[in-house]
Amino acid sequence: MLHYLRIWLASARYTVVRTMMFRGDFIVWALVELFWMTVNLLLISVIYRHTDSIAGWTKYEMMLLVGTSMLIQRFLMGFFWSSLFEMGRNVRSGYFDFFLAQPGNVMFMATTRKLDPDSLLNAVVAASVVVYSARQLGLDPSAGQIALYVGMLFCGLVIHYSILVLSISMVFWLTSAQGIEGTYFTLTEFSRLPREAFKSVVTQVLFVWLLPVVVISNAPARTLIDRFGHDWRWIAGPFVFAALWFALAVFVFHRGLRRYASASS
Amino acid sequence: MFSVLEKYRQAFLIGLQSNLVYRWNFAVRGFFSLFHLAVVFILWGAAFEGSADIGGFDLRQTLTYFVTLLVLQFFVSAFNEDYQISEEIRNGLINQFLLKPINYFAYRFSIFVAARLVSGALVFVPLLLALPVIGEFLTFPLDGWRFAVGIPAVVLSAMIQFCIAYIFGMLTFWFLEIQGFVILSMAIESVLGGQIFPLDLMSPDLFALSMLLPYPYQMYFPAAIFTGRFGFEESLWCLGIQACWVGLLFMIGRGLWARGLRRHTAVGG
Repeated sequence: MLHYLRIWLASARYTVVRTMMFRGDFIVWALVELFWMTVNLLLISVIYRHTDSIAGWTKYEMMLLVGTSMLIQRFLMGFFWSSLFEMGRNVRSGYFDFFLAQPGNVMFMATTRKLDPDSLLNAVVAASVVVYSARQLGLDPSAGQIALYVGMLFCGLVIHYSILVLSISMVFWLTSAQGIEGTYFTLTEFSRLPREAFKSVVTQVLFVWLLPVVVISNAPARTLIDRFGHDWRWIAGPFVFAALWFALAVFVFHRGLRRYASASS
Repeated sequence: MFSVLEKYRQAFLIGLQSNLVYRWNFAVRGFFSLFHLAVVFILWGAAFEGSADIGGFDLRQTLTYFVTLLVLQFFVSAFNEDYQISEEIRNGLINQFLLKPINYFAYRFSIFVAARLVSGALVFVPLLLALPVIGEFLTFPLDGWRFAVGIPAVVLSAMIQFCIAYIFGMLTFWFLEIQGFVILSMAIESVLGGQIFPLDLMSPDLFALSMLLPYPYQMYFPAAIFTGRFGFEESLWCLGIQACWVGLLFMIGRGLWARGLRRHTAVGG
């Protein structure tokens, strides 16, 4: 474990040095992400200019939900996105050989090599949205609630990571998985919606159970908002989904790895 | 006159052929747009639970606006024209146009029109498949003037979209990478172009101010005409502003091309 932490810290150090070399890029991308986050919040405030509730959720409850969704998204982008994005291309080009020769688990090496400091910086903004909304709602969460919230954020991150690894592992069979990663982000739009908004059976099965993108953000948000009570299904759900999706991702990745034949030289 | 147009007709036909090669790409993109449409339907459906009327429009009118926007997006949006132009400048591929009696703007515009005709036609495939589900939510006012004003507005929207992409492409003469500019602009366009919410839901002052910018004329304006969010006089007035923006953006694009060429170095033989 300590060995992997050391490897990861070396990668993080490399990322920081690289970011310092391209400071302009870092600032532009941080601004782009910040702007997109503002767009999401703007949508909420425009809708609430004309209505008091969305599926029974008040304005600041919705902001807390959107903030939570953004927070998980920023962590996903910050810790894994660049590596996962490159993985598909590396398998196709043969550069994936580089990871096979490294001193550690291939999935860990290939998916954690690069970090995005701009996304991690914006995670602070997303966290501020959550804190601000909680204050506006007059919430006073206990230490247990906060710990549960953090645990669920971690589960959300694991679920997102696993689904992305699964999608990109398709490259071992299809050779080109270009576009799959981008498409995945369309699905994450659902995580900014409250569970109560999903009325039809089809959308419930698809986005709550099959692809738990709704559970990922709704479960932690509900943990902080007292009026939802403490339903054990909402508490256990993220942990169960995270374990299942991670196991599936590991299985499919290693199955795919067996098919990897490098590229001709 | 016709011989001048002939070369652009050929460029248009080549553009049509090369875009038909990527027909599945456009169709898949259209299919995934349905997921975005599903988010819109769920979110606005839930918002209308708390209020039967939002900004003077009911749920069906609001959802019709977003479906119209989706169709317009595939018919008029510049998808990657800015990157293509940027690449042609960076790799020196524009050199060939400097030696031939062909206008680079008109050449790229001919290809853009061909690409949008292909993508616009293909977005109807997923929409027709989704029609049994979304059909009951669609409601269009059928006044004749909406077509008379709306169709020129769509044409001008496409020209604004192309001119903005062209201007971003021209920035390559000064900057090596334009990706940051393009994505930042996309974010602004998505809000002020009415893709996130109908602009008339903003406060009246902000709405009036935004209508002076080019962005609402990229998509919001034609969608607002076809879905009954704009009246006749208002539409004519805005059509005038839209035409002014087309003229202004065209001039900026021309100016950047002329200035950029002074910095350009053509190497090789």
